[in-house]
Order: sequence, then structure tokens, then C-alpha cells
Amino acid sequence: MKQIDKKVADAYFRERVRLIVIFLIIWFIVSFGVVMFAESFKNMTFNGFPFHYFMGAQGAVATFIILLFINAKVSDNIDKKYGISEEKNEQLSAGKALDH
Amino acid sequence: MDTQFLVSLSIIIASFALYIGIAIYNKAKETSDFYVAGRGISPFSNGMAIAADWMSAASFIGMAGTIMLLGYDGLAYIMGWTGGYLLLTFLLAPQLRKYGRYTVPEFIGDRYESHTARMIAALCTIIISFVYSIGQLSGSGVVIGRLLEVDAKVGTMIGVVLIAFYAAFGGMKGITWTQVAQYVILIIAYLIPVVFMSLQLTGNPIPWLSYGKIVGEFQQLDQQLGISQYTDPFLKGSKWQFLALMFTLMAGTAGLPHVIVRFYTVSTMKAARWSGAWALLFIGLLYLSAPAYAAFSRFILIKNVVGQKISELPAWTEKWINTGKLQIADANGDGILQWQEMVISNDIVVMATPEIANLGMFVIGLVAAGAMAAALSTAGGLMIAISSSFAHDIYYRILRPNASEQNRLLVARISIVAATVLAGLVALNPPGVITQIVAWAFAIAASTFFPALVLGVWWKRSNAAGAIAGMLVGLAVSLGYILAAKYGGFSVAGIVDTGAGIFGAVAAIAANVVVSLMTKEPSQSVQEEVYDLRYPEQMTYKDGQVWMR
Repeated sequence: MKQIDKKVADAYFRERVRLIVIFLIIWFIVSFGVVMFAESFKNMTFNGFPFHYFMGAQGAVATFIILLFINAKVSDNIDKKYGISEEKNEQLSAGKALDH
Repeated sequence: MDTQFLVSLSIIIASFALYIGIAIYNKAKETSDFYVAGRGISPFSNGMAIAADWMSAASFIGMAGTIMLLGYDGLAYIMGWTGGYLLLTFLLAPQLRKYGRYTVPEFIGDRYESHTARMIAALCTIIISFVYSIGQLSGSGVVIGRLLEVDAKVGTMIGVVLIAFYAAFGGMKGITWTQVAQYVILIIAYLIPVVFMSLQLTGNPIPWLSYGKIVGEFQQLDQQLGISQYTDPFLKGSKWQFLALMFTLMAGTAGLPHVIVRFYTVSTMKAARWSGAWALLFIGLLYLSAPAYAAFSRFILIKNVVGQKISELPAWTEKWINTGKLQIADANGDGILQWQEMVISNDIVVMATPEIANLGMFVIGLVAAGAMAAALSTAGGLMIAISSSFAHDIYYRILRPNASEQNRLLVARISIVAATVLAGLVALNPPGVITQIVAWAFAIAASTFFPALVLGVWWKRSNAAGAIAGMLVGLAVSLGYILAAKYGGFSVAGIVDTGAGIFGAVAAIAANVVVSLMTKEPSQSVQEEVYDLRYPEQMTYKDGQVWMR
């Protein structure tokens, strides 16, 4: 076990949090944002749908799925950048399994 | 007994044989396996298990119908039941996995260092899962009742026996792999009818791309019929109700104990993130298809049923009229069915679709098996959540800390049977339609666990008094609002009972923050544990320093 610079650890945390904040802003806009202004999208059409209906039925859900995969991938890259090894993580969590 | 009955029954029995076979194969021996499947299921498989756990009778049977009846307003369910996975995967799942406990009440009890908080959390788990399982049981009643052509009540009782049997028998380990199988069956059963309908109506087999055209056509059709526009927003409730319901479903998703516990079955924080992503992809397959179902069914109803002579309606209508789920009354006595003269229960749209589209006996049977898979898989997960709260959190952690493993397993099994039977009794006379009952469970989860978990993970200053106050206030406000809105006609900004979660969540967060700040900060070790959740497993926070292992 070796000590690492607190600044490095904080930088790791900040990167992850920034990612989450960006994703949650997008999440909010495609769902709550579109609903709030649904009436103004009524006359736009997309693939046959009125735009507000398309967002509710498909657009928002597809965005959610894509965001989750981007999050998983980008977080993996951040882990790599900070030298986190998944094997080591697995080993550590296995050891942490509760004994009761 | 006709051929259809025999075909449906054999498909259902074959699928059950598969589930039970898997359960026997994995028969849980130790309690650690019983609750969290002996950690280490791949994110891909876990994603499927989460999806099966998640997609309940309400999703499978009720949602397409709800959207068909509510139009745009029904889409709050689509966005709400998918968007919650972002809150869960970003804010809670990896951190809870690192903290490493068996159940949600255990996290709350240990994080807040309080047996009172643990007890309240265990009770909330039981309340939420219990309310939710009422919806599942009444859903399985609809399916079994239709299949055996018996009353839905008798169907519910048969469902109770089935669920109690295999949840008590297999435990979580059996259930994980059973749920993977259930996911595969339910998604195939859900997609086949909608693909064929898409082909029949638009010539394009990919419903997600083709139904936009149908939705576009409604504008004219609705005008001709003189009914309100299908895609016009906020016709069935206020905009605030839409937003409140969507928030309730999202926050509730992130606070549902039987879903969170699924993230304890993966090996690491990284695996938890991937599990969330796979889960939403698998869930999305169904949720993206439900509005297509709604659009196609509505189109067929307008084209082939409405405007026909009542004496010459298609043959499939008769069976559903017999179950009381489809009501037709010739109000103006002209012998022709008008749109307004038809009352459709939203619970029948998916079940009736294969008959409407004339897809043959095999598909009808498959859809019945898929609906049973959805109801049983969710009910199974809920029963595990109830029994673990009782046997593990209340019995073992509070009442009898030195109970033997055998003894705890016995208590777990007894509590599964008791909870299933009780929920079944309530489901005999369900207090609302499936989607509505389920939304209540989400409102309570959004008001109790969501605030306690998010603050517990992200704010180290939050303490026992705050968490207890938050959960109690959230529970009181959400339950109070549901009752006042449903039975007292009370509402704020047009928000009805299903949107109660927004009030509960806000009140609970406020109570947690205010009471926490007014009382002593949590112990140093707990604060360090919370700080530690910022980092992956390999980094540890200790005494103000970060260590790499």
C-alpha cells in the first residue's frame, strides 16, 4: 500500500463528477426540458412523429441508453489514466465480502 | 377446452419447467448465496437479470394500453421508468457496491450507525415491495384468468402459489439465472407481435422506424372521428402532473430496494456501471416498443372495429367482453359501434394484440408465457427483498444477532410465503389499476430511500437523526398525499396520487438536511467511509490521506 498525492485523488474525483454533471444536464434537457416546452414542438415533425412525441417515445430513451454506455466507457478510460487495475479491484472487493 | 387453451398452457408449463430447472440447478445452500448470488455475475447477464426484475406486469401488460388510452401523457411512464437508471447508475450503484452490504437497510443502518434507521429502512423496504407486489399479483391474475377463462381472482390465487413456491425455493442465486431466462422469453414474446403488426400495417418489420407514420396518420383519423388528438400534450392531466409523475418514477427507480440489491451482485464499481448500461439497453427494447404497440392497436381499433355493426364485430372481441375488460354499449342505438361507445381496460392491449392481428395460437401462447415471466420475475425479486429485510435486517441484525444460518434461512422462507399470501389477498380486490398501484410504490421509494441514499453517499455530514427524520417525513408526506389525492380529491397544481413522489422527496431531503445540521456530525470513521466512496476500490481514504493498493 503506498500513499498517493491527495491532489491526484481529488483530480480523479473531479473528473468523474464533471462527467456525471454533464450527463445529468443532458438527461434533464431531453426529458423534463422537452416536456416543459412540449406545446412549442407540436408542429415540428420527425420521422412522421410530432417532435415532442418522438422525444417522449424514442428520443429521450435512446439518449439515456447512449449516455450510460458513454459513461461506462469514459469512466474506464479515467480509471486507466489513473492506473487503476480492474483485476486488483476485483481482488479487493472479493476480500471485502462480508463474513456474516 | 379448446386447442388454443392447450397450446398456451403447454408453452407456459414448458417455460415454468425451464425456470424451475434452473432454480433447482442453482439451489442456494448458504445465506450469502440466497441474498446476493455469491457476487460475481457478469455485467451483461446481470443487465438481463435487472431488466427481468424491473419489467413487471405493469410494463409488460399495462404500459402499451396506458399509452394508447392516455396518448402523449402516457409517455411519462416511458421516460420515467428508463430515466431513473441514470440517477441509479451515476449517483448510487457503484458507490453502494463499494460500500459492500447485503441489503439497502443494511447500508442505511451501517452508514448512519443507527438501529432505528435500519429498522425504518427495513419497514420501508417491506412497504414498498409489498405495494409493488400487489400490482404484480393482480397482473398475473389477469393473465391466468384469461388463459383458464376463469375469474381474475382465481387467477390471482394460482399466481400466489406459483410465486411463493419458487421465490422461497431458489433464493437470489436461483433467481438471477432464472431471471436471465425470463428476460429472454419475455422480450421475444413482446417483440414478435409488434414486429408482425408493423409488417402487416406498414410493410416494414422494424416497428421503431415504422410507427411514426401511423402516429402521423392519427391527426386526420382523430379529426374524422371527432375525438381529441392522440399526440396533443396534457389532455388527461396537467403539465405539472406529467413532470411530477416522471420525477416520481425516476427517483423511485433509484430507490427501489429490489433493484438496488441487484447491483450488489456484480464484482466491482466498474461492473456496476456496465450493468446499469446493459440493463437499460435491455429494458429499452421493451420500452421503445410499447408506444408502437399502442399506436398499432389504436390504428386497428379505429380501422376495423369502430364504425362496424355491433353484431358483426371481429371474433376476438367476444372473449374480452366476457372477461369484462372490454365494454361495448350501443349508446345511441344505431347498431354501429362508435369510438365513444367502447371502454377498453388498459390491461388487455398487449394480451389481445396477437388475436387482433391474427397471429395464430403459438404467438398467443407465447405472449401469455411472456406476461407470466414478467409478473413472476418481478414478484420473485420483490419477495426476496421483503424476506431479506425481515430475516436479515430485522431478525438477524436487530432481534437475534446469534441466530444460526439455518434458522435465518427458515425465517427468510417463511416470510416469503407470508408476504406473498398477504399481497395476494389484497390483490383479490386491487385498489387501482396495475400501473397506478405500481406508481404508488415508486412514490414511496422516491420519498424515503432516494433521499436517504443519495445524501448518505454524497454528503458525509448527513447523520442518523437526519436520515430518520427524512425517511419518516418522506413516508408521511407521500402516503398522506396519495390518500388525500385518491380519496379526498386533494391536489396541488393538478398533481394527482401518482405524482406524490415529488412532494415526498423534496420534504425528505429538506428534513434530512435541516435535522442533520442541527445535530451532531457523524463519527469520524463514518465520514471517512463516505469520503472513501469517491474513489475506485483500489484507492482508499484513511486519516485524511489517499492510499493506493
